[in-house]
Amino acid sequence: MNAHPGPFRIGVDIGGTFTDVVMLDTGSGNLVNEKVLTTPEDPAEGVLDGVTRILDANSAAAEAVQTVIHGTTLVANALIERKGVKTALVTTKGFRDVLEIGRELRYSIYDLFIDMPEPLVPRALRFEVDERMLGSGEILRAPREVELRALAAELRAAEVKAVAIVFLHAFRNDANERMAKGILAEELPGATICTSFEVMPQIGEYERTSTAVANAFVQPIFRTYVERLVSEMARRRLPDDLYLMLADGGTVRHDTAVEFPIRLVQSGPAGGAQAAAVYGGLAEERDILCFDMGGTTAKACLIQDGEPLKSDSFEVARVFRFAKGSGLPLQVPVIDMIEIGAGGGSIAQVDKLDLVRVGPESASSEPGPACYGRGGRLPTVTDADLVLGYLDAASFLGGDMVLDKAAAEDAIRRELAGPLGLSVVDAAWGVYETVNESMAQAATIHALESGRKVQDFALLAIGGAGPVHATNLARRMGVRRVLCPLGAGVASAFGFLASPTSFEFVRAAIEPLADLDLGRVAAMVDELEQEGLSLVASAGVRPETATTVIGALMRYEGQGYQVEVAIPRAAIAAGDPGELGRLFEARYRELFGRAEAMPPEIISWRVVVSGPRPMLKPTAASREGESLTGHRQVYFSETGGFVETPVHDRYRVRPGVRIAGPAVFEERESTIIVPPDAVAEADPHGNLIVELQI
Amino acid sequence: MTELSPIKVGVVWARMSGLMDQVGETCVRTSFSSVVRENYDFAIGLLDARGRQIAQSRRSVPSFIGTMARTLQAMLERFPIESLEDGDVLITNDGWLGTGHLNDITMIKPLFRDGQHLGFIGSIFHTVDIGGAPSPSAKDCYEEGLNIPPAKILIRGEENPLLVDILKANLREADETLGDIRAQFAAYHTCAGRLLPLLDEEDLPDLEAFADEALDRSEASLRRAIDALPDGTYTDELTADGFDHPLVIRCAVTIRGSELAVDFTGTSDQIEHPVNSPLTFTQAYSCYAIKCALDPGTPINDGAFRPITVTAPQGCLVNPRRPAPVWGRHLSGHYMPPAIYGALAQVAPDKVIADCGSPLWNVYFKGRRQGAERPFVKMFFMNGGHGARPTQDGPGCLSFPSNVSNQAIEQFENQTPLLVEEKALVPDTGGAGRFRGGNAQRLSFRNVGESPVTVTIRHERVDNPPRGLLGGSSGAAGIDMINGNRIPAKTQTRIAPDDVITFQTPGGGGMGPPGERDPKAIRADIASGLVSPAQAKAQYGHET
Repeated sequence: MNAHPGPFRIGVDIGGTFTDVVMLDTGSGNLVNEKVLTTPEDPAEGVLDGVTRILDANSAAAEAVQTVIHGTTLVANALIERKGVKTALVTTKGFRDVLEIGRELRYSIYDLFIDMPEPLVPRALRFEVDERMLGSGEILRAPREVELRALAAELRAAEVKAVAIVFLHAFRNDANERMAKGILAEELPGATICTSFEVMPQIGEYERTSTAVANAFVQPIFRTYVERLVSEMARRRLPDDLYLMLADGGTVRHDTAVEFPIRLVQSGPAGGAQAAAVYGGLAEERDILCFDMGGTTAKACLIQDGEPLKSDSFEVARVFRFAKGSGLPLQVPVIDMIEIGAGGGSIAQVDKLDLVRVGPESASSEPGPACYGRGGRLPTVTDADLVLGYLDAASFLGGDMVLDKAAAEDAIRRELAGPLGLSVVDAAWGVYETVNESMAQAATIHALESGRKVQDFALLAIGGAGPVHATNLARRMGVRRVLCPLGAGVASAFGFLASPTSFEFVRAAIEPLADLDLGRVAAMVDELEQEGLSLVASAGVRPETATTVIGALMRYEGQGYQVEVAIPRAAIAAGDPGELGRLFEARYRELFGRAEAMPPEIISWRVVVSGPRPMLKPTAASREGESLTGHRQVYFSETGGFVETPVHDRYRVRPGVRIAGPAVFEERESTIIVPPDAVAEADPHGNLIVELQI
Repeated sequence: MTELSPIKVGVVWARMSGLMDQVGETCVRTSFSSVVRENYDFAIGLLDARGRQIAQSRRSVPSFIGTMARTLQAMLERFPIESLEDGDVLITNDGWLGTGHLNDITMIKPLFRDGQHLGFIGSIFHTVDIGGAPSPSAKDCYEEGLNIPPAKILIRGEENPLLVDILKANLREADETLGDIRAQFAAYHTCAGRLLPLLDEEDLPDLEAFADEALDRSEASLRRAIDALPDGTYTDELTADGFDHPLVIRCAVTIRGSELAVDFTGTSDQIEHPVNSPLTFTQAYSCYAIKCALDPGTPINDGAFRPITVTAPQGCLVNPRRPAPVWGRHLSGHYMPPAIYGALAQVAPDKVIADCGSPLWNVYFKGRRQGAERPFVKMFFMNGGHGARPTQDGPGCLSFPSNVSNQAIEQFENQTPLLVEEKALVPDTGGAGRFRGGNAQRLSFRNVGESPVTVTIRHERVDNPPRGLLGGSSGAAGIDMINGNRIPAKTQTRIAPDDVITFQTPGGGGMGPPGERDPKAIRADIASGLVSPAQAKAQYGHET
């Protein structure tokens, strides 16, 4: 390939096994990618290695790189593996156990043996200060300096590296937290000190404490990592302003990111969702269910009107997989991505009801599915996919890894078909159906929880196993259109490039709509907007291109769940709370089909300041030649058995050509299954679009 | 008839359970009842044409396990199925026919397809206001609110005007309760709209073939677990604090082959205080306890109860006659699991847990906030320490056998003139044992308003602490205090401005002899401060 003129933008995603690097030539729109092994002991090595490799492979100069955008699982891993620094917690007197008591709820109702998540700060390192803020924001008692200085001596003696300060009602007035921070920072130079107000000023002492503690726990190691990466990049003549991907789909400059590492907790998957939004946009789909199925899990997220749906909380480090409530709650803005089920490596077994159950146990990559031939003897989803002809033993990973079909059949016969009295193929179909059905259920409920109907979305499949299961999953949910983008395997890194620079602020303010002082709201929005503009301006965004989005979380008085309502600037300026009430009612009706004759209230405000979304139109590097490469036997329930099915090389399918099912499209990292009554067509951007008969 | 493969049974099962959860989620999102949405104090159920419950929403409190099928039978006695039409919805909140007290409303709608009766969709939800004057001093159930006998709330799609008028005339917060009732209509509509296409897609003419399969499989799973235990009768007896005198709960668990019978003969007579547990509630918590211990991994349907019988003499605390007051039925109903586990411990010591710091503690605060038009009424929940398990310590402050979360203090202080001065784990409150019981918590509330606040409490385990199991020690008993002075655990009292009322929940019981506790675990307890050095020496002989 010729030397590119650039300038280039590079996205880097550190995953469990591979570090993915994607490079976009902003001049030509050409997109290239590279995979290198992740280096767990020093992840920066892998990042630098990958960037160097992709530049060399494409004869590009380091100086021609404009930006590097990075997402990482470092923060989530540090929390999961408890590999943060020694952290102390300082609370209001009488409340140091809030972190341990949690919500008092059992997350699994029939299980007498559940473990609750261990707090990140042990009881001996949780300290109390005699201070008190009232719910109104009025100071009842300010902390005394002498007590804080004595506390500092204890903290010093305990050799803590980080301190989280969380006082009751600080989300409303942080004066006491600020004062405590001032004195502790003075006494403990070099220690990281976070207040709950800075990290996330939201009501709810348990969740806010958990969030602030998690932020303090990971901040020192994250800061060290980022500083090293930035200096190494400079040494290699790469730009020194590194950007980091936030869990809410925005990007920020590294110096902002290191203050709030907890906001990066899901940054890889957030990139995948942003990529899905871009791919979908190219296919002229604005409402998308992004379905990401990898080796151990399948995730889903909804994209509505071109934007991934967000949530203001997230749970990390679950003690029991899939169980809501078994992890550490974090109040951070995130793209609302949920785990909907098993992955390719998930194990299928006969349960106590003599029915097939899939997961949550996984064969992981070692020993892996039975067909990997690495000693795995238990049947997995991948084994079933192979038996049904969805995967091909010879062309898996572009032929780099030959699969053992006989081993897959043996495992299914031994563990499933035999005990259930079924044929091997029927049992394999059972695994495929079972895993798809449970994902369909979970995704449907997720849509409902977000107040949407899944049938209104198109499904976009990424991840190695995503396209293999996508069409069957879509049919179960009543979804008609399935998009399979090119490069699904590096979607997250690509998504980083597609994400705008942005920062989100949240301010709690519970009050009846009738009492709302819109003048005060306008002043608060202005202040947050200014702060946001200066943050995005430091990332090179021209203020006139930035946009501010205002949302109010509202509900009827007496309810417990709020609905986010987009509030136009003009509605605030007009000074009429009634207009906000009408906007809320319209939204509520849209979600639940009814409105109530009850007074609404405001719970909190959300202000997001963003730069423009980068316009990406990647051009697919296609191969010449006839796409049809052969035929193989593939199982379809529609025909009640195996059918001789054409196999196409996905990279050779030309735009506009319509291919009727049954058909299989192979690419390096995955396989797309098109059932008999469906039609597939490639668009000019490399998306393969499958239309299903529902 | 229709032959269903195991694969198909699994898929249809997943779809039906998912459908229940979808309907449940809609109810939670639109509910006005905080117990519904925060504590999942509701259930959605699907029953076949014969009235057998096939599926139930997964997240709900245990009180509703298996009650819907029984309630339906009572409704059908009054309104035979031949007399029901498409668009009818039945309702009742009778404690003896439903879930044990008037605050739970059960509603069931018959489903039809092409004029053929297909089955039923139903729901149960908790409503805060049901009229009357429920209080610890209620002498009979008439004081406790409005009883709606089985009736049609919807007649061919139209609201029954007489019933709606009666509700409006008897409830303080009629709009909210009616709002929640109407939300169920929408939920049933959604459910029916999805169930019929589901049956078409799965090529099922009715619900029976699937029900047969699902119920048989659930039944077989529990039977296998019971069969693995040795035959015999195992007994346990525990003492509840009661009102004027202690109450005895006596339980005999008889295992014969794959059948398990629980009998409460020997339990105290019903009393004229609202702690009586109608048999439906007693059965629900008994079945729940057995399911948790013996077959926790399978979904709930009627088949899962076939091997179990639960009996109690008429007129006793756990099978009271009308018109016993039943508002606080959990004060005896929550004793079913520890009594059953005490008995089962003799044959299945690896499957049961020591006593938890329950029945659930709660408190009602009533009063006036300065400047507010209406008085506030606030219910606050507090859980005790969880009992120790056969292989693990009991967690501090975890809800069992109910599953009710706490409320954020920051929310609570915004709704009341009360300032919470502490919410803390209390050292030395978990029962000693090879595995330690969970610690209790202490909460103190100061009245920072200008007028008195009325406080209603009805706490158990103040005289009789949670017991240890298999050699473990008891957890600490609970304590109620005003300004540091003990007050009765079942009382209605007032706290003056600046008074402080303190509640210390009971700690969980320990399991196994304390002498067998790992010294490392003892040292960790001392380091965290959950066990004091003095207690470590007294209970475990541990020298620091």
